[in-house]
Amino acid sequence: MASSAESPHEAGKQSFDIVSTYRSLLLSDPELTMPVAAIEALVSLLQNSPSLSTISEILDLLASNAEKLKQSIANPISLSAGTDLFQRYIINSLQRGGPAGAAGDFDAIRAHLLTNGRLFVARAKEARRMIAQTARQFIKVGSTVLTNGGSRVVSAVLQAAAEAQIKETGAPRFRVVYAVSASYKNSYGDGGDTAEGTATVTALRRLAVPVAMISEAAVAYSMGQIDVVLVGAEGVVENGGIISRMGTYQMAVLAKASGKPMYVVAESHKFVRVFPLGQQDIGVDQNVLNFTTKVEEVIETGLLTPKANFASRRIAGESITPDLDGSGYFGKDALHDSKNADFVDYTPPGYISALISENGVLTPSAVSEELIKIWY
Amino acid sequence: MSFAPNLSSFLGSLKESPTNVELSLQTLVDLFKRRQIRGSRQCAIATAHLLKQVIRRFKARDTVSLIKRVQDVGQKLTDAQPKELAISNIIRRILGVIRDEADGDKEGDAFQNYSSSEPGTPRKKGSMSPPQGQQNGVPVIADLEALHRPPLLTSHTSYMASTNGPIVTSMFSLLSQPLSDTSTPGSQSPAQQLYSSFNPTLRPQELSAEVIDGIDEIIDELDNMDDQIASYAIDHIHSNEIILTHGTSLTVQRFLLRAASKRRFTVIHAEGYPNQHHETHATITGKHKASSDGDPDQSDVQRFAKPLIEAGITVVLIPDAAVFALMSRVNKVILGTHAVLANGGLIASAGVKSIALAAREHRTPVVVVTGVYKLCPTFVFDFDSFIEYGEPGCVLGCAEDSDLIGKVDVENPLHDYVEGELVDLFITNLGGHAPFSLSSVITEQYRSEDTDLAVGN
Repeated sequence: MASSAESPHEAGKQSFDIVSTYRSLLLSDPELTMPVAAIEALVSLLQNSPSLSTISEILDLLASNAEKLKQSIANPISLSAGTDLFQRYIINSLQRGGPAGAAGDFDAIRAHLLTNGRLFVARAKEARRMIAQTARQFIKVGSTVLTNGGSRVVSAVLQAAAEAQIKETGAPRFRVVYAVSASYKNSYGDGGDTAEGTATVTALRRLAVPVAMISEAAVAYSMGQIDVVLVGAEGVVENGGIISRMGTYQMAVLAKASGKPMYVVAESHKFVRVFPLGQQDIGVDQNVLNFTTKVEEVIETGLLTPKANFASRRIAGESITPDLDGSGYFGKDALHDSKNADFVDYTPPGYISALISENGVLTPSAVSEELIKIWY
Repeated sequence: MSFAPNLSSFLGSLKESPTNVELSLQTLVDLFKRRQIRGSRQCAIATAHLLKQVIRRFKARDTVSLIKRVQDVGQKLTDAQPKELAISNIIRRILGVIRDEADGDKEGDAFQNYSSSEPGTPRKKGSMSPPQGQQNGVPVIADLEALHRPPLLTSHTSYMASTNGPIVTSMFSLLSQPLSDTSTPGSQSPAQQLYSSFNPTLRPQELSAEVIDGIDEIIDELDNMDDQIASYAIDHIHSNEIILTHGTSLTVQRFLLRAASKRRFTVIHAEGYPNQHHETHATITGKHKASSDGDPDQSDVQRFAKPLIEAGITVVLIPDAAVFALMSRVNKVILGTHAVLANGGLIASAGVKSIALAAREHRTPVVVVTGVYKLCPTFVFDFDSFIEYGEPGCVLGCAEDSDLIGKVDVENPLHDYVEGELVDLFITNLGGHAPFSLSSVITEQYRSEDTDLAVGN
């Protein structure tokens, strides 16, 4: 969890605090993904607001709380997949009726949601297991797999592949190349400042899978020995592209350039209704390109007058909190930004060979159809 | 006239002894294993006819056991010849028919289940196909589809997909009713089995009669497929174009022949040495030699009476090696295929990949004509497992090159795997589809429960 600034407009009017509920849910279960935690938080919101009578009241309450949740964290993409899905499910059930009750019967839907709260979590975990069972077939005997990030699904896939190959041939007969970011500072609280994915690497090595950890700079160097690239995703966007850990896009480009297939494993509750046109369009405020100069020294040399100093204009446009820890007046480079572990990039669908969700193997274009089915 | 058993002798035996289903099944399994019935079309027809027999003779009490029976038979057939993907596709279609009948009865007797196509219901996926055509950028085709498609087909596709629950998408599987939580989320089969087993209104005779009607529609579809595909030919082949094709696909020949009725163009035909060149020559001259026994689509070539040259088309026969040299002059490449995989990739006869790559190099559009029964919903993890190898004798005859025998390894792959990105347009009997939209055509064709046939068992 990004420990960014607390939500400025923390609700004082309601006793139920969606943000803290969400956070305690995430902390209580390390296996829980953000979208599912968001859904759980919204379910307990419904539980705590018994006095709702009209449908629009319910939808307003859900929308405002979903918004509050999104505001509270730095990168709301994954989370918004969960809140969007939940809101859409409520609207759909209210309009068309469903197995939970006739159209408009909110009490029945609410009863269904409240009684089955834990079931959703169980299903989300089941989804991961199913993905692992499908996707492990991409890891053939004798192949070398490249991956990155700390995706729990990727970890499940690799372990499932190892177990299956142990069962079939007596030993895991594939190798893993794990690209880790050197500057990574773990923010999920599961191991201090060890690189993300260390837990997966340890687990795989315990299963006798040979793992090589490389820096992200060595991806191109290693690509010749790779057979398949396997990554997780924070969100799967409308055109079938993915938003994932920073560095995934360049891995995808390199894989494409070498003609290696790249597979994405992600549960279908990570499908999110955004359509990024490029890296700057993801909808996450991350100051990756932070241009700085040594302004004071430049002025001292007399090369520029203070007026012409364009750096001051940039400060005016600065949207993140100015850096005050003395490391420089103009904020940190992305390299030294403590938040860089949460940086994401967008991989366009053309680089993705297939997406594996619990519903099977999808082409990137099939993702948009799934989304269209629930939104239109 | 050959006396080895083949498709027509098998269909004859089905007619002669309609009661002994097990014997027919065993016969077909043997025919598949011995490759005496081969080629997607022949396998599809044989499978459909056999399953019709199976269902007619099956004393069904309920749909669950009927589905189980079809799955068992299907398993035997696919095991007999796993490389003929059309077999499992036809089994999936028939399973879909049975499931739809069961659901149709479940949904109520208010309307005659499949023939009615109530307009305006949001979950009618079958009625979505015309807009899809437009989405692909080929609106003409979509309109044509409505004109050309015989009514039986329309009803067919409309009931293929009409039976999902009120909430259509599997994305809601996370949140939906716990009814299906005992099984995998996203698969509805236990729920459906529940429905069909406590459905008292379902009478077995009615069920099997309607299922057999459904199978007859599939068989009709298989028979009329080439005509429907050919009806799009005029839109794609223009006067004075140079078309490159390969192999002996009857679908391609009929497609070109239909265009030849209106247009004058040139066909460059790559001969497909060493496995197909005899049939290619026969296809061009229209004189098929009956002696080439056991070759793919043999009887198809026989049925294909009028060759292109008689229709006034200039046909240039070239060896496969000349494809690249000539590609710069070609306007369009039109290919047949053995099967189309879920990711848009093709299993096609050997030589097609080099044609597709040459076309890509010259930015020549590649059009693949195929019946929908060749579209497979399964994702293939190991493409190479579908490549079939033929006898090395075709490459290296024992007599003439005997000094090479024993000194070299001879490989004779019959198929190529061609990536979907190399294809620009698929034309099926439902219309034209861009490669990226194939997945939606596939989801309309088959029920998601049947995607993995093995799991159903």
